Amino acid sequence: MGGYLLTVWVLLTLNFVLPRAMPGDPITAMLASNEAVTVDADTRAELAAYYGMDQPVAVQYVRYLDGLARGDLGVSVRYRMPVTELLAGRLRWTALLVGSGMVVALGVGLAAGVHAGWRRGSRLDRRLLVALLAVRNVPPFALASLAVLVFAVKLGWLPLGGAATPFFTGGVAAGAADVAHHLVLPAGVLAVQFSAGYFLLMRAGMVTQLGADHLLLGRAKGLSDRRLQYRYAARNALLPVVTVTAMHLSFAVTGSLFVETVFAYPGMGRLAFDAVGARDYPVVQGCFVVFSVSVVTLNLVAELLYTRLDPRVRA
Amino acid sequence: MRRRRDQTDRLLGAGAGLVGLVAVVGVLAPLLAPYDPQALVGDSLDPPSGRHLLGTNDVGQDLFSQLVWGARPSLLVAIGAAALTLALGVVIGASAGLVGGVVDRVVMRAIDVMLGLPLLPLLIVVAALAPPGVVTTVIIIGVMMWPMSARVVRSETLTLRQRGYVRMATGFGGGLGYVLRRHLLPALGPIVVAGAINVAGVAVLLEAGLAFLGLSDPTRTSWGLTLNRALTQQGLYLSNQWVWWVLPAAGAVTVAVLGITFVGVGLEPRLNPRARREPK
Repeated sequence: MGGYLLTVWVLLTLNFVLPRAMPGDPITAMLASNEAVTVDADTRAELAAYYGMDQPVAVQYVRYLDGLARGDLGVSVRYRMPVTELLAGRLRWTALLVGSGMVVALGVGLAAGVHAGWRRGSRLDRRLLVALLAVRNVPPFALASLAVLVFAVKLGWLPLGGAATPFFTGGVAAGAADVAHHLVLPAGVLAVQFSAGYFLLMRAGMVTQLGADHLLLGRAKGLSDRRLQYRYAARNALLPVVTVTAMHLSFAVTGSLFVETVFAYPGMGRLAFDAVGARDYPVVQGCFVVFSVSVVTLNLVAELLYTRLDPRVRA
Repeated sequence: MRRRRDQTDRLLGAGAGLVGLVAVVGVLAPLLAPYDPQALVGDSLDPPSGRHLLGTNDVGQDLFSQLVWGARPSLLVAIGAAALTLALGVVIGASAGLVGGVVDRVVMRAIDVMLGLPLLPLLIVVAALAPPGVVTTVIIIGVMMWPMSARVVRSETLTLRQRGYVRMATGFGGGLGYVLRRHLLPALGPIVVAGAINVAGVAVLLEAGLAFLGLSDPTRTSWGLTLNRALTQQGLYLSNQWVWWVLPAAGAVTVAVLGITFVGVGLEPRLNPRARREPK
């Protein structure tokens, strides 16, 4: 818990320090996004005073933390609205995308891992191993581009991008179907990438269980192979999956950033991408704060959950 | 187990082949590329032809030449980031392990905090603010990734420190630098190589990823930038352009990363001290 708070503090402080440590100052950066405007020294000083940048760094830092505590992440230069509002609107799309990708990946990856690990060295096992090892190393943006090309451009089964049809005028049910239709491809790409990790983990867990005593005893009792595989071996092998699921969320954030960019999906990743392109620094930093703090928080949750699930860790 | 060894050897061979291909293309880029990758040498959006093997992009740059020259930043970042990460990791990790006490505790605490920081978001913020370029990317990756190798090096140092020959060297008055150079570095070799391969793979992905997100110097040539340019193009999918614009660059990044990963997996039985000690 202490480590968690320390990490969050470091992240928030980095967010404060980095822009000030880098070449150029925020005023120049802000004006650069609007290059048609040239300003004289007086106006610059006024702007600096308006944003509190003429104050000592310590004062600025306290004000920054105070603003954060009240949920104030500054104002977007490009959209001219509070970054917090902007993020809130985008966050649910990312949650939907990453959440559904994760659920599919868990199902597919774990099932494949249980099968492959139980029959280690079989042809199925070797093929799955090589295939998923390869998939895991394809860059997420390359996989996403390829998926668009095949399923949206060539086959035309699914929409090219976006999260919903603009100005959609159907009922609620039709609207949900429309959103789901747009979700299939980006979530599918994420699922493929995540599932490789789950597969490898579950397979490794199953392999360590293969010679375990309780399995031998179960076999001696005449339990069926299926029962041993799922109720005995898989159950124990499942434990590390909990921790890794949360740890993989940082990869999920990464993946969703690229996938959203390719699919023009209106989530946080796309927002960050657009903000970088427009040099909209408040938004870039706001995305950074939300991304990083949520990743760190989920890691903490996983740790707490793990100690509850495994009595051996609690002691 | 014989069979398993053969399989990893095959993987190692395939990986070395892929990495070698990228390396040769990168080194020989001036000879292989028919045009300057930044020069405007053709019409806008030409399809592949004898003059332009992979056609041209929206401003008329030769895409084949961009593909060839794009190998360079990937290689440079991979080598630079791996070297920097390992240098920091070995020096910090080994010092913490050898000195012990307060230094060790402070370093471990710092490592714990740094491992908690999410890499990509941080990378994006820094890359957005810093002047873009290969050097920036290398420094960011090196600074972000050293804790992982430092942790491994430290724990290995702790066991090495107890070995007779190391204790003898310190007992006869060998200083920190001497013990590190003479005894620890050779013993840490396999770990360092394994770590370097791992970092190189991540670095290639990140370099391409940052360029793809538009966070690298747009006047240079790299696979990620080619993709960035293609995907911000309106109506990219209306024609067949993507076949010669998107696929080769995406494939090149994949080949480089896969090659490095295969080398890593293939070398594992030789590098991992635990696997080596196991009777075969």
